Amino acid sequence: MSDTATRPAPPAPPKSTGVAVTTAIWWRRALPMAALYAVSLGIALTLAALLVMMTGASPWSAVEALYEGSLASPAAIGLSLDKAAPLLIVALGTCIAARAGLFNIGQEGQLLIGAAVFTTIALFMPGPGPLVLIVALIGGALGGAFWAGIAAVLYFWRGIPVVITTLLLVYISAQVVFYSVSQSWWLQEHLPTGGVMAPQSDLLPEDRWLPHFGEYPGLNFASTIVIALVLTVIVTVMLRRSTWGFRLRMLGMNRSAARRAGVSALVFGGTALLLSGAFAGFAGAAMVGGGNHRMQPGISENSGWDGLLVALVARENPVLAVPVAIFFGMLRAGGGFLASTGVPRYIVDVVTAILVLAVVFPPAFRLYQRQIATRRQAKALAAATSGAAA
Amino acid sequence: MIESIALILASTMRLATPLAFAAAGEYIAERAGMINISIEAMMLGGAFSAVWGATLTGSPVLGLVFGMLAGLLIGFIHANFSHRLTVNTYVVGLTLNLLVLGLTSFLLDVMDLSQAQVSKFAIPILSDLPLVGDALFNQRWPAYLLWILIPGIWYAMYRTRWGLNMRAIGENPSAVDATGIDVLKRQRFALLIVGVLSGLGGAYLSVGEVGLFNQNMTAARGYVVIAAVIFGGWSLKGTMIGCLVFGAADAMRLALPALGVTLNAQLLIASPYILAILAMVLFAKSNRAPGSYGRPFVRGVV
Amino acid sequence: MQTQHAEAPSGRTAPAVELRGLTKRYGSIVACDDVHLTVPQGEIHGLLGQNGAGKSTLVKMLLGLVSRDAGQILLGGRSVEIPDPLAAAELGIGMVHQHFSLVNELTVWENVTLGEPGRPDPARTKALVRSIGERYGLTVDPDVRVEELSTGERQRVEIIKCLRRDPNLLILDEPTSVLTLAESRELFSVLRRVVQDEGRTVILISHKLDEILDATDHVTIMRSGRVVAQRATCDTDERELAREMVGRELSKWVAASALGDLDRLVDPSHSTDAAMLDRTESIDEDRFPVRLRITDAYLSEEGRPQLQGLSLELRAGEITGLAGIEGNGQRALGDVLSSLIPLDSGTVEVDGVALPTGRPGVMHRAGIGVIPEDRHQSGCVLDMSVAENLVMSTVNSVATRGMVSRSRIRANAERLIEQFEISTPSPDTPMRQLSGGNQQKVVLARELSLDPKILVAAYPTRGLDVGAIEYMTQQLHAAANRGIAVLLISTELEEILTLSHHIAVIHRGAIVGRMRRVDVDAERLGMMMGGQAA
Repeated sequence: MSDTATRPAPPAPPKSTGVAVTTAIWWRRALPMAALYAVSLGIALTLAALLVMMTGASPWSAVEALYEGSLASPAAIGLSLDKAAPLLIVALGTCIAARAGLFNIGQEGQLLIGAAVFTTIALFMPGPGPLVLIVALIGGALGGAFWAGIAAVLYFWRGIPVVITTLLLVYISAQVVFYSVSQSWWLQEHLPTGGVMAPQSDLLPEDRWLPHFGEYPGLNFASTIVIALVLTVIVTVMLRRSTWGFRLRMLGMNRSAARRAGVSALVFGGTALLLSGAFAGFAGAAMVGGGNHRMQPGISENSGWDGLLVALVARENPVLAVPVAIFFGMLRAGGGFLASTGVPRYIVDVVTAILVLAVVFPPAFRLYQRQIATRRQAKALAAATSGAAA
Repeated sequence: MIESIALILASTMRLATPLAFAAAGEYIAERAGMINISIEAMMLGGAFSAVWGATLTGSPVLGLVFGMLAGLLIGFIHANFSHRLTVNTYVVGLTLNLLVLGLTSFLLDVMDLSQAQVSKFAIPILSDLPLVGDALFNQRWPAYLLWILIPGIWYAMYRTRWGLNMRAIGENPSAVDATGIDVLKRQRFALLIVGVLSGLGGAYLSVGEVGLFNQNMTAARGYVVIAAVIFGGWSLKGTMIGCLVFGAADAMRLALPALGVTLNAQLLIASPYILAILAMVLFAKSNRAPGSYGRPFVRGVV
Repeated sequence: MQTQHAEAPSGRTAPAVELRGLTKRYGSIVACDDVHLTVPQGEIHGLLGQNGAGKSTLVKMLLGLVSRDAGQILLGGRSVEIPDPLAAAELGIGMVHQHFSLVNELTVWENVTLGEPGRPDPARTKALVRSIGERYGLTVDPDVRVEELSTGERQRVEIIKCLRRDPNLLILDEPTSVLTLAESRELFSVLRRVVQDEGRTVILISHKLDEILDATDHVTIMRSGRVVAQRATCDTDERELAREMVGRELSKWVAASALGDLDRLVDPSHSTDAAMLDRTESIDEDRFPVRLRITDAYLSEEGRPQLQGLSLELRAGEITGLAGIEGNGQRALGDVLSSLIPLDSGTVEVDGVALPTGRPGVMHRAGIGVIPEDRHQSGCVLDMSVAENLVMSTVNSVATRGMVSRSRIRANAERLIEQFEISTPSPDTPMRQLSGGNQQKVVLARELSLDPKILVAAYPTRGLDVGAIEYMTQQLHAAANRGIAVLLISTELEEILTLSHHIAVIHRGAIVGRMRRVDVDAERLGMMMGGQAA
């Protein structure tokens, strides 16, 4: 019965002819890949160096500045961690949505809304600081979830692509936030002597700040990174081990099979979208509570976008997202330092984006090469046999 | 009253024109089954390169060419990443958007760009028509290209083999593949067209209407263009109407304060995006999206 | 076994196709192993074999969809290379696809002209569609969108699309699986005309013996990637064909079901098989309680009516065969019973309790197990492991406090793999790597492990080889004996006649006729399926 055989049988395990052989095979596979990464990253860095040179600065001094700002001192390391934390939180949410096969790319907006809700609660709610802080953080997460929820509703109700609604909502949220900090009844700063009114909120009372570890100039950082790491563990376990994660994966891989098995795209997909929004909103809340301690329209510094990129580079794997987020955080911390040397801070955005392309390129290129190679072999064989026949 | 209506109409046309160029391209891409979010990067890159090109050469016309080339380059990068190397198209698009936004902002800081603007051309007699004369027949000359471009695209999509293939790919790429047509190659080509046209749209915005480049000048107009195609129910006519609607929203934003209507500034700025979402809510479901809309083509998978 | 070349009559032209030693490997699996095949000009040549015998791979090499590892292809005596489908078309090879490769939203003429060079010429193409239609009796309106056509009409478009390129060699892959009996006959008469009047050559791929015996001149039988026999159709009989195809003798009951031997099934007196006779014994109408009752079901999708007042009862311990031409509401019915879509009106009751249709999982919880028609698309998740697929609808049963237990998933998988004889390297193997038959077993195992009251099996044997079909039919039979109410949805009349106690005929979304298996009159059944009152 031919049916009892599985189609592509697993390749026979290599006979144990010695460790050397397998290592050699491993090297033959790994080396080209490593070389590709080297070339790809090399081109990316060269481009970045060229851009730096346009400003008249030397690339080497730029690298030095990046190092100074991100790793050279305990304080710099703390800053890197502070910058990495929101990116990681956003990335975790993105992983959840991606698992369900949905593409939320409006984290930037959800983050801003979360930040605004957090600030509002933290400023207006009476009560003991820690309680208010917790309520405000939850509020921030709910705010982000609400913002993502708009996209979810439009998708499940009217079939409008999540991609496009979440993007448009980013630009609406920016105006919402700007509105909030320019209205005296809402978040606008109250100045005693009628000075110039900057579009920002009052400073939060200190008992409503997120706990901070360490003291400048030593290693010091906000507790956000700790929360982010705890969330990473939770998200990883939930996605890998829980029935919820199992069903989410089913939904992401095959919607109709999932539906047959009783997994509702509306419930599970909707939840995944809301959760990814909640993570982004929480990241925004933590940025206010743990960093600026006041709401400003530019508070995000593209953290929503970059958090999304972190998830993409990490291939939507929460564990991998940790090192990627820390690396991006270092770039951001160093970028602030770099700006003080006269290189516009936008260089960090450019370098981040180029690096993303440089990292996704090699595996995709290998796959493509393999396809081309099989096609070429086929043609070579065709040529050989027709030559023989002629 | 008539005067202000004429004014708003003229302003609508001016603001809709950059959208229309980009939307003409995006329409083709969407009919071929793609949602191309890097259109934002193409428009922004086009807008910057046009001013840069005009600064370099001293000619705003050459600036337009620079804009188109920049869009083409971005389209080329996107196409090869997503439709040759099969990286997720949204990943590529989003990264390109951030890259171009960062890059143009950076370059704007480190370069000296001059002002440059293409000239207006009033069509005699017609431009004196009441109400619509100024709006339709007294524009920067590249805007008149739309009168050729739009029928041209319609003809290409519905009367040529090329257009038939594009439409078929959008509906059922596997069937098209079975007839021996290289689906990914066609889709790459569509992305190049989006690049050129969106680059032109962006360029028209900078060296056409405004005369200079501002940081993040396009401000999500690319996404509004995508909304216009969805709003238009994936028909060329509907898409162009969508562009006019969104152009009008933009025009109202500028005109309302002048008319003495006070609305909140943030609401006004956000209005095109809100309108884009509302428009999709109202019209998206009554229209049928292309069969393989937004799904990447993978050989052998039905 | 030695390959036997069918001798082409001497003095005639070179054979239309000659394959010499064609070989194709996928990894360690040899799909085609040193295949030699000669097809003379101007005949219908049958290519017979089970699923996985290598027929499809062979044809794909001819069409330039798959590159070969070794061997030679000769067309009209000339050695040729076929790197891609366009080259195949230029060499005069045309394919009528099994799964239609039409673009639904385009019109007939647009589909016909798709993939050709040069400017599309509507007037000329439409005229061509009409003239080909007249010449071969394949009438179809060139201005209609394909989505508005029936399955049979769509196949006409496929054939027109193929003939329009004036091919010397036509390849048809299982063409009758979606056709009515009348449509199949019509198809074969068209093919006969193509061969006799115009000297073209046809390769007909099929797993149905009666079809091969009826329609072909020569037949080549493949098994496990090799050509095992080649015969002139007039010199062989179904017994021999079946033996060569399967490699062993089969019980007639299974042979009939798997290979499509209608006559023997309809007239029980022809049968000496005990199992067959048992099936045809009369069964007391009210002996068993009604498990599932569908009353007056109406449903439309995108403005098209799918179910129009369908009423159906399933009784415990009985197999009800739902006979009908594809596209008459079977899919919608299956979807409703899988809680995929809600009814517009009407009720679904299990043991007298009405269910809210369309709510995810509700049918499952009520005890309805479903083996869907498209197991790849909705029966399983190909990228998840076999073990995970086996617990897909019962994750909670292997979890404690919301956390899945890997060991329990594995234990469950090992138990079911053994019980249902699923052949897999390990429970952790991705579903994608299993053969079609084993994928189907996984789905069956999962659905039966839920201990359902009702089992819906939609086209359960489609695309399976004989061994798997044998297994499947036994399992359905056993399920009914255990008291499960089984609904067998199929377009293959033979399958329904073999297995069912009752037969209901579906036409245009309603049950138009009902009969006990013993009372079956094939003629009447066929007319009912075609929508004629009988």
